[in-house]
Amino acid sequence: MLKVLSFLKPYRLAAALALVLMLTELSVELLQPLLIGRIIDEGIMKNDFNVVLMWGGAMVGVSAIAFASGVLNSYYAAHVGQSLGFDIRKSLMTKIQSFSFGNFNRFPTSSLITRMTNDVTQVQNTIFMSLRIMLRAPLLVVGSLVMSFFVNWQLAIIFLAVVPILVVFLVYVMKKGGVLFKRVQEKLDHVNNVMQENLVGIRLIKAFNRRNHEVNRFSKVSGTLKDGTVKALRLMEVAMPVLLLVMNLCIMVILWFGRNQINLGEVQVGEVVAIINYATRMTTAFSMFSFIIMALSRARASSERIVEVLDASIDLTDQDQSFNNIHMEGEIEFNHVSFKYPDTEEYVLKDLHFTVQAGETVAVLGATGSGKSSLFQLIPRLYDAADGKVLIDHIDVKTLKMDWLRKNIGFAPQEAMLFSGSIKDNISWGKENAAMEDVIAAAKNAQIHETIMALPQQYETKLGQKGVNLSGGQKQRLSVARALIRKPKILLLDDSTSALDMNTEAKLLQALKTYTSTTMIITQKISTAKSADRILLLEDGLLIAEGTHEQLLFSSPLYREIAKSQLEAEVSHLAFQTK
Amino acid sequence: MLSKLSDPFKHDKIPIQPISPQSKRVKAKPKKFSAVIKRIWIYLSYSKVMLILVLLMVIISSAMALLGPFLVGMAIDKYLVSREEMFFLWLLAALGGIYIVHSLSLWLQNYWMIGVAQETVYTMRADLFEQIQKLPIPFFDKRQLGELMSRVTNDIENVSSTLNSSIIQIFSSVLTLAGTILVMLSLSPLLTLLTLLIVPLMFYGMKWITKRTSVLFKEQQRNLGELNGFIEETISGQKIVKTFSQEQKVIAEFIEKGERLKTSGFWAQTYSGFIPKLMNMLNNLSFAIIACVGGILALNGTVSIGMIVIFTEYSRQFTRPLNDLANQFNTLLSAIAGAERVFDIIDAEDELKQEKNKRRMEKVKGDVEFQNVSFSYKGYKNTLNQINLRALPGETVAFVGPTGAGKTTIINLLSRFYEVNEGAILIDGVIIADINKESLRAHMGFVLQDSFLFQGTVHENIRYGKLDATDEEVMDAAKHANAHSFIMKLPKQYDTELKYNGSGISQGQKQLLSIARAFLAQPSILILDEATSSIDTVTELKIQEALQQLMVGRTCFVIAHRLNTIQNADKIFVLHNGEIIEKGNHESLLKKKGFYYQLHGQKQLR
Repeated sequence: MLKVLSFLKPYRLAAALALVLMLTELSVELLQPLLIGRIIDEGIMKNDFNVVLMWGGAMVGVSAIAFASGVLNSYYAAHVGQSLGFDIRKSLMTKIQSFSFGNFNRFPTSSLITRMTNDVTQVQNTIFMSLRIMLRAPLLVVGSLVMSFFVNWQLAIIFLAVVPILVVFLVYVMKKGGVLFKRVQEKLDHVNNVMQENLVGIRLIKAFNRRNHEVNRFSKVSGTLKDGTVKALRLMEVAMPVLLLVMNLCIMVILWFGRNQINLGEVQVGEVVAIINYATRMTTAFSMFSFIIMALSRARASSERIVEVLDASIDLTDQDQSFNNIHMEGEIEFNHVSFKYPDTEEYVLKDLHFTVQAGETVAVLGATGSGKSSLFQLIPRLYDAADGKVLIDHIDVKTLKMDWLRKNIGFAPQEAMLFSGSIKDNISWGKENAAMEDVIAAAKNAQIHETIMALPQQYETKLGQKGVNLSGGQKQRLSVARALIRKPKILLLDDSTSALDMNTEAKLLQALKTYTSTTMIITQKISTAKSADRILLLEDGLLIAEGTHEQLLFSSPLYREIAKSQLEAEVSHLAFQTK
Repeated sequence: MLSKLSDPFKHDKIPIQPISPQSKRVKAKPKKFSAVIKRIWIYLSYSKVMLILVLLMVIISSAMALLGPFLVGMAIDKYLVSREEMFFLWLLAALGGIYIVHSLSLWLQNYWMIGVAQETVYTMRADLFEQIQKLPIPFFDKRQLGELMSRVTNDIENVSSTLNSSIIQIFSSVLTLAGTILVMLSLSPLLTLLTLLIVPLMFYGMKWITKRTSVLFKEQQRNLGELNGFIEETISGQKIVKTFSQEQKVIAEFIEKGERLKTSGFWAQTYSGFIPKLMNMLNNLSFAIIACVGGILALNGTVSIGMIVIFTEYSRQFTRPLNDLANQFNTLLSAIAGAERVFDIIDAEDELKQEKNKRRMEKVKGDVEFQNVSFSYKGYKNTLNQINLRALPGETVAFVGPTGAGKTTIINLLSRFYEVNEGAILIDGVIIADINKESLRAHMGFVLQDSFLFQGTVHENIRYGKLDATDEEVMDAAKHANAHSFIMKLPKQYDTELKYNGSGISQGQKQLLSIARAFLAQPSILILDEATSSIDTVTELKIQEALQQLMVGRTCFVIAHRLNTIQNADKIFVLHNGEIIEKGNHESLLKKKGFYYQLHGQKQLR
């Protein structure tokens, strides 16, 4: 909570002003009964019409002041609340952008979204409310307490006994509520998660007719959210009736003692009346508390969740003295590299040892799950190797500045992920201030230019969330164009030509030769592999063979098997026979 | 430092009255407003009994709240001032009873109301979710995922928090208001009229404010939705953001969207904050008016001083519930803005509505025919043009052609993800547009281009193809799809939890799982869209044999770039720019030496 409150610092002046304005309003309100008294005592009782008008006028004037400060207070409170929310969101986003993939595994996407929207809104609203009305209640309680002691301390002592107990009770409820509300937010995460999955996988759900199955699944998580919320809210709502009862019982005690004291002649009737009056005022103030503790417990739970993200330790960072080379040659070396994903046992890469010369093109082949994509992820340092070193131009990537390293790499992942925006935006996404010629050149080399020109708005055509209106192969080529526009020193293509037909793919590979990049291509196709200078063959995380097509045909049985599987003539005969 | 004090006034203004073309919509708002409230009421009325109980409790607690002070007053007058002896303890006992009933009724009304409110929100959420399941695929193409998410979370959450507190408040406020006016009228109609003078002023002021806030709250929710969408997209695209080192750019764009949310949020809160202040001022004003006018009347002797005192008291009692109502109005406004966005989706055209009375297919032989089918995605050139083709039961038809030729579109039409623009598709001689969608898809098995997996175990993901499948069946399907061996290497084998969209296993392994999933479904029509594109060719060959078995007796639609995977198809259609340019089987097409031959030849050349 404190950490979140520290975001208030830049706005402390505005916040203070909002409080002052609120106090002004409050004191004007307290002035009103006094003025009414004057009108009655000095005006009406003495038949003085002018005095009535004067104090009446004063009342109007005073309420105008109250109104003005109220309106101003609204401005300042809203300003503080919204700016605070904005700042928190901003630092959350900045933090999340520095997350490693290990961090992302710990916070699911849907949970991060809830934290950045729902939780921040919760905190922001609480701040806004507290600047406008919340402080009123405690001030009223304290004020009434003090005043009652001035009136008659013997009778007022009962408050001294009761109020602390009530405060302790409230704090307890708030703490307990905080825990419950945190659980509510977690359950909200689950609901959002199912929702997100359904929105992403809607095609599959429809294809398999799993509507009812999904509805049931959703009802289950949504039901636990409901139960959790009900439980938390019901706990909160116990506070108010209890407070009321205790305060009311106080009044009974005051009546009882008051009568005895009056009978003894130690207390005046007026004093008892006044004390009871203060007791009712305190009750009113306390009744606002139930609302306040609710808001506070929610805000507390939410701010804890915010802080969890802000305090997450990033396991992939630049070292203090990172190299920031001016020029990269593009030589990649794997020096006895082993790797396993965080929080898993199984090594997916085992003792890889190879070098790719600058400017060379190397194809990576291997069975499904043999570690090809994992190998790629170590080069732009999305993950760190568990053992051994990945070196670029003979320098350990861990000692390179990540930003600089990645800026020199062009990466087209297996699943072509596009952003909403125009086609041009998506291609130039890889390079700030890219000129239109660069965009077109990259598109041409990626063999997507003609397709784009056939679209209604060409390069300005907007893509939906995931470029839904494009075919799989078109998406892949856009993703390749996005990598090419940077003219990277190292180009990593993770099976990004899988959905392309032979013809297009051949042209694309040909166009790649005009780039001086060190290129690594993951592929399933021997034909693609053949166009590379060298081929690496992976099996179960081990590098089992490397060399040219001819060399491997000769030396590697697995490679021969792969090649054989793709020699269609034989295959088709075989298949015909089996059918 | 002091210059910071002018910050709140530096926020960009948001036009309240949109310029001409949209202004009509703003005028229509009040109608929509009440329609939304009516809709919420319908939801609430599911728990009518509870609501009546709540109302009862509100009445009791209000009565107790009035009775308590009355008895205290009596106690003071009789026992403290006049020092009577009789029945003092009885009075105290009665007072105690009232207090207990008061607290109890208060607790019960909240207890029940929370139940009602959360039940309502739960039903709304469920309705929304169910609706999403029923919406047609084109609906999702047009919208951003995160924006939709925001409606299910933020907007509904808004409704939830309002329902919790507002309804009771509104009940009790209206109750107190009515009671007070009645008492005042019975005391002095003239002074009552004076007190009511502020009502028109109040209405005018409220109208001025709510006209702004209703627009602003909607704007705020919209901006929140957009921000949500952006967060969702950048987080799920994090790999790209990272490898391209574009974090700064993403943050900058985020800030821009955040600023917009901040501005609309600022104005919405500021204006809505005016409401209680306005009420307070009018309250004070009526205070003054009554004091002055009452004073004059008292000078004439028409009204007693006691009456004035009572009236000033009552005028305050009169405005307090109004004040509460106004405060509630605030939250109510933002909740209504939220509810409206939720209803927007619930009211969107649902693809199953027209399907209800359509034909259900008990059994499908698998005779598929396309008759002059043309189709284009909204705003694009024809994706498919005059397609004619026929697949007989048990036949395997394959589609080849360059990317973007329309291959996936054929499958989208066959499964009725999209509807044809022209022509018709028939299954067993029935036009599929006349078949109930769900019944149609029940006979189809899919392995789609994006192999989506759910969070959950491997086992659960395969069983998705047939929910009542036994463990043996699941394992059997996995073995057929060649997924068994890699599954056994996972830390917990079939019980391994997959993370969101199967992250943690490779793309090819995901495809193996989705093939296993389709195996389990055992459909009459099997659709394979690039089912093996990310699988290595050796494994593919092994699956091919299994697929071959699965294909027997089923009509199969196969799309593949690797031509060897389709060579044994009964019919091959070569698509180019949305048209079938060649058809035949592997041998006949090779002999033709056309496009297919070229596609094929290239491969052998290198």
